Amino acid sequence: MKIILKNIQKLSKKQYIYIAIIAFCLLTSIIFVYNNHSLYKRPIGQITEISLEEKDEVVDRYGNEDEVFKQQIIAHILNGEQKGEEVYITNEYSSSGSYDHKYEAGQEVFIHIQNHTTEDGETSASITDVKRDKYLVMIAWVFILTLLLIGKRQGLFASVSLAINIILLSYALDLYVHTSINLLWISGILAILFTVFSLLLVNGFNEKTYAAIIATLLGTFFALFVAYVTMWLTNENGLRYEEMQFLTRPYDIVFLAGLFIGSLGAVMDVAISISSAMFELYHKNNNISPDALKKSGFDIGRDIMGTMTNILFFAYISGSIPTLILYLKNHSQLGFTLSINLSLELARALAGGIGIVITIPIGLYTTLYFIERKRAKS
Amino acid sequence: MNVLFVLAAILFILMLTIGGAKGARSFISLFLNFIVILVTVIFMASPLVDPILLTMIACVVISCINLFYINEVNSKTTVAFISTIITIGILFFFIYFITKKVQIQGFGEEEFEEIRIFSLYIGIDFIRLSASVIIMSTIGAITDVAISITSPMKEIFHHNPHLKSKELFTSGMTIGKDILGSNTNTLFFAFIGGYMALLIWFKDLSYSFGEVVNSKIFSSEMIMIMCAGIGIALVIPIAAGINAWYLVRTKQKEMKNDE
Repeated sequence: MKIILKNIQKLSKKQYIYIAIIAFCLLTSIIFVYNNHSLYKRPIGQITEISLEEKDEVVDRYGNEDEVFKQQIIAHILNGEQKGEEVYITNEYSSSGSYDHKYEAGQEVFIHIQNHTTEDGETSASITDVKRDKYLVMIAWVFILTLLLIGKRQGLFASVSLAINIILLSYALDLYVHTSINLLWISGILAILFTVFSLLLVNGFNEKTYAAIIATLLGTFFALFVAYVTMWLTNENGLRYEEMQFLTRPYDIVFLAGLFIGSLGAVMDVAISISSAMFELYHKNNNISPDALKKSGFDIGRDIMGTMTNILFFAYISGSIPTLILYLKNHSQLGFTLSINLSLELARALAGGIGIVITIPIGLYTTLYFIERKRAKS
Repeated sequence: MNVLFVLAAILFILMLTIGGAKGARSFISLFLNFIVILVTVIFMASPLVDPILLTMIACVVISCINLFYINEVNSKTTVAFISTIITIGILFFFIYFITKKVQIQGFGEEEFEEIRIFSLYIGIDFIRLSASVIIMSTIGAITDVAISITSPMKEIFHHNPHLKSKELFTSGMTIGKDILGSNTNTLFFAFIGGYMALLIWFKDLSYSFGEVVNSKIFSSEMIMIMCAGIGIALVIPIAAGINAWYLVRTKQKEMKNDE
């Protein structure tokens, strides 16, 4: 307690204002998200009473054992014309819960109210989804506060650039869905905007950033090009688009766009690591030879290429684990399961890796060019 | 010719020409990690083993591959390894609590077409599984941040051996802050790229803002990105702290031995 008090006394006036602003935003957003029911058109119910009706042990046709429960729920409508009324809901859920939910009293859920009433005059309804917005806002605050606490200014920049990127992406996808512009063109422009924004915001306007921007764009476009040519040459043999079958759009284009955007962050990271390290060396010693710069650029590249490809690999593959397990538990062959669910993820990871590795020499030579230009000027 | 095979061959050649022996090790590490995930998934399909426990074991093995195999066993990688495991341990509690509370486990209604033909009562706890997935998808980034902090810190201490552990900790934090943004960015784009098809599907269905925010797929995606960011931020003070303490202590021990 004493330490906290001491730290509070140490704060400057400016920091007080920052903390006040953050606290204000935090409180308003949480109050808002707890009281925004009237903004939703879909009826929202708060669960007031729950009783467990039945519990069954089930064994499916593959011998998997599970338990299925039946809940009787009474919910209180919080918005719309029927606000204040009570509805009766029957909910079935399983212990595994892959496509069902166990509800608890106090929870808020979106409901679909059935028009007919039962003999007792009760209105029946069904639950369509959980109201997740308030949790999302709270986790977002934990995220922002952790980043601010540990990263200070850089944490702020990271949060801001994340928010900008999400808005840009949403806008770009709107553009794609509502017009007939090719998705690859949109992704290309999007990639340029993402790169320029993210790198300039964090590193500022200087040669180091310009070199990284050029290297990032060349590197990702190269990865896209390699993936495109490979798919064309091999007739897309080995790629299974089953996981995208809900889409009514060309699968291969959507896949390439995902591959392109997905590798962008990792490539950016490699490009800025190389250019900032090389500029650092140049600033420390203006007479350093191009060969020495090249060598240390390659050293840094070698150090990061393994971990960077692994980051992409885990980020892509892990998301498929639940589907893999569902397939395996339904007695699908391992080879079939893997080829259907992992072919796109593996291709993305490999192409992203190609982008990462090729960015090392590209980044190195662009940075060298900028350094030599600077040297010639001075 | 298979697309995956061609891409893997190109990646291998590139890694070998640009990275030499270390490049070859990096490629093999990808392959090893793939096998680890595969074995984990096969074990997870058994209802007797807890998915979270399995993921913890898998994370230990993966960190060993990423740190000790690609680099080598030394004080930098050992401290990075310890910090990774501590961070993941803390993160697990947080993530499990969230997946349970927000109910983002399993499949969203947008994916129903795909899973319709399957029996869904398979006796596997999908809440635990979801928590495992989130951890697993960030493990690569967490080990990366850990090693990116411990390795330059040792360099700094080598050049300025008189530094106190508190000053050393501060310089570790400074390094960490610089990589915080780029690493969250890397994961953000990777997740977005992986979910491109579903995001377009959302737009095709012309969901309202409220529907998007509350849908299971979107919220689990956002939670994944934010938990990854929290994990990356968390490992920074942990790695910097342990490393500062360790470096100064070994130095003092050496000095005592010299006397």
